[in-house]
Amino acid sequence: MLGLAKGLTYTLKNLTRKKLTYDYPHEPLPLPDRFRGIQKFYPEKCIVCNQCANICPTDCIQLTGKKHPDPNKRGKIIETYDINFEICILCDLCTEVCPTEAVIMTNNFELAEYSRDELFKDLVWLDENDENLRKVNKA
Amino acid sequence: MMEGLLAAEASWLNFGIFFLLAVVLLFVVLGFVTYAILAERKVMGFMQLRYGPNQVGGRFGLLQTVADVLKLLIKEDTIPKLADRPLFILAPVIAFTPAFMVLAVIPFTDKFYFADIGVGLLYYIAISGLTTIGIVTGGWASNNKYALMGGMRAAAQMISYEIPLVMSVIGIILLTGSLNLNDIVEAQKNGWFIIWQPIAFIVFLIAAVAELNRVPFDLPEAESELVAGFHVEYSGFRWAFFMLAEYVYMFAMASLITVIFLGGWLPLPFLGFIPGAVWFALKFTVVIFILIWFRVTFPRIRADQLMEFGWKVLLPVALANIFLTAILKELLNIF
Amino acid sequence: MIRTEEMLLNVGPQHPSTHGVFRLVLKIDGEIITEARPVIGYLHRGTEKLAEDLQYTQIIPYTDRMDYLAAMTNNYVLCHAVETMMDLEIPERAEYLRIITMELGRIASHLVWWGTYLLDLGATSPFLYAFREREMIINMLNEISGGRLTFNYMRVGGVKWDAPEGWIEKVREFIPYMREQLKGYDQLVTGNEIFMNRVKGVGTYTKEDALNYSLSGANLRCTGIKWDLRKEEPYSIYDRFDFDVCIRDGGDAWARYHVRLSEIGESLKILEQAVEQFPSEGAVLGKVPKVIKPPKGEAFVRIESPRGEIGCYIASEGKKEPYRLKFRRPSFYNLQILPKLLVGQNMANLIAILGAIDIVLGEVDG
Repeated sequence: MLGLAKGLTYTLKNLTRKKLTYDYPHEPLPLPDRFRGIQKFYPEKCIVCNQCANICPTDCIQLTGKKHPDPNKRGKIIETYDINFEICILCDLCTEVCPTEAVIMTNNFELAEYSRDELFKDLVWLDENDENLRKVNKA
Repeated sequence: MMEGLLAAEASWLNFGIFFLLAVVLLFVVLGFVTYAILAERKVMGFMQLRYGPNQVGGRFGLLQTVADVLKLLIKEDTIPKLADRPLFILAPVIAFTPAFMVLAVIPFTDKFYFADIGVGLLYYIAISGLTTIGIVTGGWASNNKYALMGGMRAAAQMISYEIPLVMSVIGIILLTGSLNLNDIVEAQKNGWFIIWQPIAFIVFLIAAVAELNRVPFDLPEAESELVAGFHVEYSGFRWAFFMLAEYVYMFAMASLITVIFLGGWLPLPFLGFIPGAVWFALKFTVVIFILIWFRVTFPRIRADQLMEFGWKVLLPVALANIFLTAILKELLNIF
Repeated sequence: MIRTEEMLLNVGPQHPSTHGVFRLVLKIDGEIITEARPVIGYLHRGTEKLAEDLQYTQIIPYTDRMDYLAAMTNNYVLCHAVETMMDLEIPERAEYLRIITMELGRIASHLVWWGTYLLDLGATSPFLYAFREREMIINMLNEISGGRLTFNYMRVGGVKWDAPEGWIEKVREFIPYMREQLKGYDQLVTGNEIFMNRVKGVGTYTKEDALNYSLSGANLRCTGIKWDLRKEEPYSIYDRFDFDVCIRDGGDAWARYHVRLSEIGESLKILEQAVEQFPSEGAVLGKVPKVIKPPKGEAFVRIESPRGEIGCYIASEGKKEPYRLKFRRPSFYNLQILPKLLVGQNMANLIAILGAIDIVLGEVDG
């Protein structure tokens, strides 16, 4: 009986303790800077080195580049850049290998959509995803 | 007023008045169930460092249960293909009806009661035993193994705990000399029976929790073992009826404990200016709180231990209490 | 004479207490189990096969998803295996960060076990109390790694990030707080008579059984065998810390409960010392070649995960990808004893026994 009584006092004490609920949909969750959310892509920074597509463990990044329109400049510029968020696991490896920080993580994590097609994000969408950017991207 | 009505001759008018009163009581009870569920979720939430419902109906979630019930009413009513259809439909009715019938004998105050039967306590216990049939029927008719096991557990548990429940109140009947609940309350003028009969109170409380199928005795619907127990195949308003029966029983059982152990509407000394209805409500709330508090704290007891506890501990203790009461009554002659 | 017949009962894969998609085909006589056949594989993702086409760094996120309650140890076992093959030097600071994160993960994992086990036994509150503390750990790990469950934190040769400013302080403050809460857990559950009756003598096995079934972790130590890889074969820098290996003699669920709860205390001890000795500066990633190519050969390492011994076998042909990768996943091995324990028990004990083994389905199915 003593053990039962002890348990009862413990729960009774907790009745008035501070509540821990996050008021989540009304207030955004406080997330640390390093949090790995949906990527933000800077098309102007990309040098089409393909490293992100190569390192991706789930092969969810597809990109194509084209010749630089300015004939005096060497290198390529990005033409299409798609991330398939059906299979992306937000592992951060793409941003880790990117030499120019053209793809970085944000703190946005809300990816729910009504259709699977909408999880296929293209260059324009990823470029416009420019809120809550991660400040420090390289260790 | 009630006294006059009960003594009046049988007539269509009186029938109409009683019918109306019963309907009013039904709505009062439904209102109670609505807010008991909310209170349970709130208290559980607060004890578990959460807020509980706080979205529907303002900060306190006042309309949460209403919304839940509405959702249950418009839900698809599924009946398994291989279920025993008539029994499946009948089971929630059998489970719910006695829950409401037992309320007739509970005296809420000295003026407000619906029946003044000489064997009130016996009536309560006899009628409440019928619910078991509804639960077993539901469990069997579902044609589901989990439901069957839940139903069998319910039958075993309810029958074994009804015996200590009855035995524990015999002490009180000895002291009062009556089975009438109004008389039992009147007999507590010199002190509530929780003081005169502490052992009976503990036995009764434990057995009552078991009768109500609440934690730590929620084996018939043990979620982690039997998924949902006897009502695993029920959905929509049929399921709601099982739940309703459960909470109406909670109302009835809390009222019964208030009446036979906590002195019903009787006030504490020197506080007689507060009306009896308030006293009843206060004591009733305390009992409900204790039931919720148990639910928050305790794990579930195991089926075989449940049986062992009921037959080997509760029953002998209740029997011993009867003897003790009889001896004390004879020696001290206080009543 | 009443004619009775055995009934076939399918528990799971969608059952509240199988902790994921685990299925048990039971033959029951009333509520007594006469035969139990576990069916696994509902969460099989082929991690080991997938790994054969992946570079070593790419495999790390996959290991996160095996034992998702203690992903740090999984990260570590893979990195440790590769480092052993390549004979890499790990910077001091990285070692400390690894230990701190792994021990935090161990506490978090045991907390989840504690909460869910009590939930299985019908008590709803411990789950929420345990998650209060776990949330703090998860937040700390989130801050250092950027993920709440799938950390992807360790790298071959070190760790990805250095500790952010003030992080070590947070860990330091957490230790006394957690000790205080442990007392509360004892108050709420350990002394509870109903709980004691449900776990004492339930799911008992002997030392010999434990060894024959190759059990490890708390499932082994509950029989009184003192075996903890952190002590027996100290990896990383575990030899620098002073802590005890928790053992109990009962071999039942009650003993396992105590082993796990006291292991939280021991992890706190390790954390305390690690935070104290934490080097003030230094690199967190050692000198690692840009492309990780372990030499031709094979290696097997094993470490102590919260669930038992997790092992990693790598066969390399000197390429970027492993030729064969194999994890010894402790949950899978610990689960093997289940059919033996279940025979003759009732449905309520089934839950108590299965819960006490502490399986994570992601790890069982791999």
